[in-house]
Amino acid sequence: MASCSQARSAEMASTAISPGLLKPNSISVKGFKITTQKLPILKADPIEDMARNLGITPPEMIFGNNLVAIEHQQSRWGMDFNAFDALDRVDKTGASMLKVAYSKEWQKSREKTHEGIKEIVKPFDWSYTTDYVGTVNPGSRPFVATTKPIPTELLKRPDPILFYDDVILYEDELADNGITMLSCKIRVMPSRLLLLTRFFMRLDNVLFRLRDTRVYIDFDELEIIREYQSRECEYEKVRQTLATTRDDVPAVMRDPNRLSEILPLVEKRLERVDLKD
Amino acid sequence: MSDLDRAIAQLRACRLIPEAQVRELCYKARELLIEEGNVVCVDAPVTICGDIHGQFHDLMELFRVGGDVPDTNYLFMGDFVDRGFYSLESFLLLLCLKVRYPDRITLIRGNHESRQITTVYGFYDECIRKYGSANVWRYCCEVFDYLALGALVLGASSELEPSGPMMDTTQSSMPIDDTELETEVLNSRGEVTMSTYRPRQRSSSRNISPPRDISAGPGQAPMRSGAAGTGASGDARGSLSNRTGAVLCVHGGLSPVIDTVDKIRLIDRKQEVPHEGAMCDLLWSDPDEIDGWGLSPRGAGFLFGGDIVKHFNYKNDLSLVARAHQLVMEGYKEMFDGGIVTVWSAPNYCYRCGNVAAILELGEDTSSGGTVTRSNGDYGRSNGLLGATAGVRSPGRRYRVFEAAAQDTRGMPAKKPVADYFL
Repeated sequence: MASCSQARSAEMASTAISPGLLKPNSISVKGFKITTQKLPILKADPIEDMARNLGITPPEMIFGNNLVAIEHQQSRWGMDFNAFDALDRVDKTGASMLKVAYSKEWQKSREKTHEGIKEIVKPFDWSYTTDYVGTVNPGSRPFVATTKPIPTELLKRPDPILFYDDVILYEDELADNGITMLSCKIRVMPSRLLLLTRFFMRLDNVLFRLRDTRVYIDFDELEIIREYQSRECEYEKVRQTLATTRDDVPAVMRDPNRLSEILPLVEKRLERVDLKD
Repeated sequence: MSDLDRAIAQLRACRLIPEAQVRELCYKARELLIEEGNVVCVDAPVTICGDIHGQFHDLMELFRVGGDVPDTNYLFMGDFVDRGFYSLESFLLLLCLKVRYPDRITLIRGNHESRQITTVYGFYDECIRKYGSANVWRYCCEVFDYLALGALVLGASSELEPSGPMMDTTQSSMPIDDTELETEVLNSRGEVTMSTYRPRQRSSSRNISPPRDISAGPGQAPMRSGAAGTGASGDARGSLSNRTGAVLCVHGGLSPVIDTVDKIRLIDRKQEVPHEGAMCDLLWSDPDEIDGWGLSPRGAGFLFGGDIVKHFNYKNDLSLVARAHQLVMEGYKEMFDGGIVTVWSAPNYCYRCGNVAAILELGEDTSSGGTVTRSNGDYGRSNGLLGATAGVRSPGRRYRVFEAAAQDTRGMPAKKPVADYFL
C-alpha cells in the first residue's frame, strides 16, 4: 500500500509540473474506441480565449482540455463530452439567473448607500446549469427518439470492468454559496459500456439541481441508447425530507448519488442510434 | 524547549496538539490580535501569501521556497482553512508561529475564517473528526473574529536586486545604468524564469533589495517575455516620482464605502463576517475588467474596475493592492497596469486543479538608512498639486512560483479513480 500511495503522489506531483506528458487513456473493445483525457485547469490565456468564444466568464475551475470520447470506426460514428460545448449551452442572457440566498438582504442594505451601483455586470446563468448531452461528431448517424430504456439489469451484473475513468469538466464554488460541477464517468465491460455525465448544483439555502446524461452502448447489438434526466428541488424541501431520516444531512447534501434518489424528476428523454446497416 | 516550541515542532510534523493546548494557544493569540489594529502596519521586507485552504504539505513547501519563520517576515492574506484535509494543522501552526514570533508573521482574515462558511466547507467537520467535538472549532472561530482585516506594507523597495545572472546582451537596447529590475519570477528551484525592467528614476542612492538565495545555483538566463496571462509587465505605474507607495493587503478587495485606508480602521471588526457592509466587501469583492463598480451576477458582492483601483491607490498614496481570494492558474495575476495583484498560494487546489502557487516578496528600501516613509495616508498625502502624472512608484516584485508538494496521499481523492458499478 505504501508503494502504491508513493506512486500516486509522484503522479499527483507530475500533474502539476508537466501536464503535457500525460497521455490520453484509451481502450478498444469490439470496434469501439473509448478515450479519456485529464489535464490541469486552463491557464489565463486559454481562459480568456474561452470567455471570448463563449461570451460568458468560464467557471473558476475549468478543465478545458479534459475529454471523454467514444468512436465506432467502422460506421464512422462518434461522440464526445467536453467542457466548452457543455458551457456553450449555459444561458448567456441572464433570463434564468438565480440569486444567492442572502441576495435580497444584501441588496436591500445597499439600496440607500449605493444608488449608483445597480448594474449587474455581464449577467448570465452563473450556476452554469447545462442540459448538455454530448457532442456528436459531424457525419455520425443521428440519435432518434425511442421508448426503449437502458437495460439496467444487464448493468447490475458484475461483469469485469475493462476500463474506468472519472473526468471532471468544470467546477465552480459559486463564490462559496454551494457547488456546481459537471463530470463524466465511464465504465467499459466486455460487451457493453455505460457513461454518466452528471451536472450537479447545490445553491445553499436555495436549490438543488441534477442533470444526468447516460449513454449505454451494446457492442454486439451495435446499439446506443441515450437517456437524459433533469431533477430539481428547493433546498428547504430537501432539508425537511432529510430531517425525518437518520442521515447525516450535510453529508447527503454533498452527495449527488444520494440526492438523485430524493430529487423529483422534472424531465426525461430517451434516444437511440442503431449502427447496424 | 518551551511548550510552544514543542507544539510548533509537533505541528510541523503534521501532528495535532492536545485540545487543552489549543485552547491556551487560541487564548494567547486573541490577546495578541486584540492589540492589532484593523489594518496592521508591516515593514518590508515581507513575503505576501494568498489562500492556503488546509493544504498543509503545500504550506511546508511554501516555507521551503520562501524561507522559514522567523528568518522570513510573512504576511498571510487569509483563507487558511476549508477545502483541504489539514485545515487544523495548517491554521494551528500559523497561529503558533504568530504567538511565538508576533513581529515576524501577520495573519489577516479571509472570508473562510467565519463560522458560517467553515460549517459548509470542511473545517467544522474536520474539527469534529479529529477532536471528537466542536470545542476546537469554537476556539478557532473566536480567534477568527480578532484577525485584522488588512495590512499596509511600508518601506518597500522600488527595485529588486537580480537573483539570477545579469541581463544578457539582448537587453542592451536599454542601458543597464538607466534601468532597474521591477519584477522577477522564480521557480521553486530559485531559477529566474522571467524578469522585467523599467527606467530608473533615481540616479544616486541604491535602494535595492537583495534576494534570499534558496537555490543550489541560479538557473537559466532571464527571459524577456512575461509568463503568459499573468499580466506581469514592466513599468507598472510609469510615474515620475521616485517614492515607493505603501502596499495594501486585503483578502478580497475594495469596497464602495471605503475610500480611504482610515475608514477600514473605523470598522468594528470583532464579529462574525457580516453578509453586507465594508467588512464583508473587503473579504469578498473581486476586481474585474469593468468601469467603476458593478454587482456580481450572483446577486450579492461587488466587482470593481481598474479606474476604482487607480483612484483608491492615488488617494491613499498606495502603489499596489495585493489580494488573494481567487484561484489563478499561474499563482499570481497582475491587473490594471499593475495596480492590483492576486496572489494564490494553494498549488493543485483541492488536490485536482493542477495549478501552481506563488508568493510575493517585497524588498526593503535601504536608501534612506532604514527610515520608513509613512506613505499610508498619515504622512505625505498627495495633495494633487504635483499634477496628474505624479504618484508613487510601485515596489519591485519578486514572485516565487511553486508546485504542490509530493505528499502522503492518505485520505485524499485518488488520482486513479476506483472503478465502481455506477448506474
